[in-house]
Amino acid sequence: MRARSVACVSAGERPALEALAVAKRFGNRQVLSGVDLIAQSGRLHGLLGPNGAGKTTLMRVLLGLVRRDSGTVRLLGCGVNPTNGSLPDGVAGFVETPAFYPYLSGRRNLALLAHLDRHDGAVRRPGAGHVLEQVGLSGHAEIAVAHYSAGMRQRLGLAAALLRSPRLLFLDEPTNSLDPAGARDVRAVARRLVHEGAAVVWSSHDMAEVEELCATLTIINRGCVIFAGTVDELQKLAPASVHSLRTSDDRAALSLAAQRQGPHVKVAPARDGGLEVSAATDALDAYVIALGCAGVAVRVLERRTRSLESLFLELTGSAGRREALGPASRADSSGRQAAPVVS
Amino acid sequence: MSVPGSLAVTRVECAKLAAQLKTHLVLAACVISPFAFAAAMRVQSSLPEDTLFGRCVKESGFAVPLVVLGFAALWVFPALSSVVGGDLFSAEDRYGTWTTLLTRSRCRSEVFAGKVLTAMGFSALTVAALAASSVAAGVLIVGPQPLVDLSGTLLPSAQALNRIALAWASVLPPALAFTALAVLLSVATRSSAAGIGLPVVAGLTMQLYAFVDGPELIRRLLITSAFGAWHGLLAEPPFYGPLISGMAVSTAYLLVCLLIAYGMLRRRDISR
Repeated sequence: MRARSVACVSAGERPALEALAVAKRFGNRQVLSGVDLIAQSGRLHGLLGPNGAGKTTLMRVLLGLVRRDSGTVRLLGCGVNPTNGSLPDGVAGFVETPAFYPYLSGRRNLALLAHLDRHDGAVRRPGAGHVLEQVGLSGHAEIAVAHYSAGMRQRLGLAAALLRSPRLLFLDEPTNSLDPAGARDVRAVARRLVHEGAAVVWSSHDMAEVEELCATLTIINRGCVIFAGTVDELQKLAPASVHSLRTSDDRAALSLAAQRQGPHVKVAPARDGGLEVSAATDALDAYVIALGCAGVAVRVLERRTRSLESLFLELTGSAGRREALGPASRADSSGRQAAPVVS
Repeated sequence: MSVPGSLAVTRVECAKLAAQLKTHLVLAACVISPFAFAAAMRVQSSLPEDTLFGRCVKESGFAVPLVVLGFAALWVFPALSSVVGGDLFSAEDRYGTWTTLLTRSRCRSEVFAGKVLTAMGFSALTVAALAASSVAAGVLIVGPQPLVDLSGTLLPSAQALNRIALAWASVLPPALAFTALAVLLSVATRSSAAGIGLPVVAGLTMQLYAFVDGPELIRRLLITSAFGAWHGLLAEPPFYGPLISGMAVSTAYLLVCLLIAYGMLRRRDISR
């Protein structure tokens, strides 16, 4: 009576995750349009996009929660049945805030979930106590989940994923709701898994977080892939950083920029006073030295946007929208203060 | 889908049920209520004479389980049958745990089969608990006197006990059909209130149809008709026609409801 819901072939050198031309439509809304996502073992792969880009839907498709309309998905070399597939062994993850049975303790929740995992005997599974310790929840293991904070549920979600000894782990905005220490712990767990050879797909809308963690990334917007490659490749596409500059003589500084030969420096008056300087690092260094030589004192020079973030906003068309939202909206969900965006 | 996979889901669902106060309260009510009823009958002067075997509750303890059986058919069986079946699927929506459940090693077929098995098992358990408790209450509080059946024949205690066991067993198919209806409503509406409440309303509506002068065929096609099929077992000679047609109708309801529910769960996008 046993029917296979997944068709596995030898993984060999295949990527841990191979999703090709994945499409999904909800009613009249095309949520994913031919999305490709490939993640290699031993790598942390970032899945980046603004809110509503389709990241979570893509994660749900990959985890078999949402049926794809077309495309193929291979997880650890196993083709996944889009309508009734169970997750292959070694694949784990969660989407959005993980949810558990509130009337059971954290430990009991994990123990029951472990019963639902296949045990082929070849892989020694970690126990609930071990994974609770890894995510820093040992002291709260016997408390009913109803009394957990959002951050503790996030940690418990990671613990539930770790129970499956993941070789391919999907994490959807895993540092949401976490305090800085919690976020650091989650990043450490992800790095350790990668170090042990697992592939981790880390979904986020925070460019800085992905840039810090991931070697490769895919950026999606409105259900389409707009960039896929390494962070280095993205860096090459990135525009010059924008800096805020205040000098003893802004008019002379503007004039000097216009006269300069060599590496390009773009200087313009800022709306809030002072100047905005857009330049690569080398050009900026040369420009500041030239200002000093010309007798113009540099009083303030501070970076206003990171270059990759600028590119991300440009690629996803979020720059104008974000500026319009104003400073109050610029703290992202992890509490990090995003830099102001300059048009 | 594999049998061990479905059984693993059943074990998990049973563990979840065991941790819920609701489960303990329902089972406790099944055990205590017949004793409370038998004790009340013993002390009060009037009898439930408009109920089958109601006149005999002070003469034979075996009449107690039959009076309870007749009363339970009105709305207790639909309620007991849906209290778990109507909540087992929609609870995952309420807690937002579908994503947690479906990102383990069990496919949707196994999850569905495991949950249905749990719901059916719980319904059978409540019927069995109510039956055993009713018999125990009757025998302990009133006594194991012989029972006069519907044809006026005196049934010795052992024979009466056999017939009562068969009568209670005969309500299992319609009870399980109500469980399947509750499962379908739970999957379709994603609401426990609808999953538990609507089968009771449906049961009462079907009972009301018995008072309407409508086509006999429709009456026979209602699940609740099967709840009265046990009357034939307490006649001399026993007749089994209503029992067989009741089982056929119940099986049809059960299969249709479960097939539709399975199809809906299988096609569903877990997008919240």
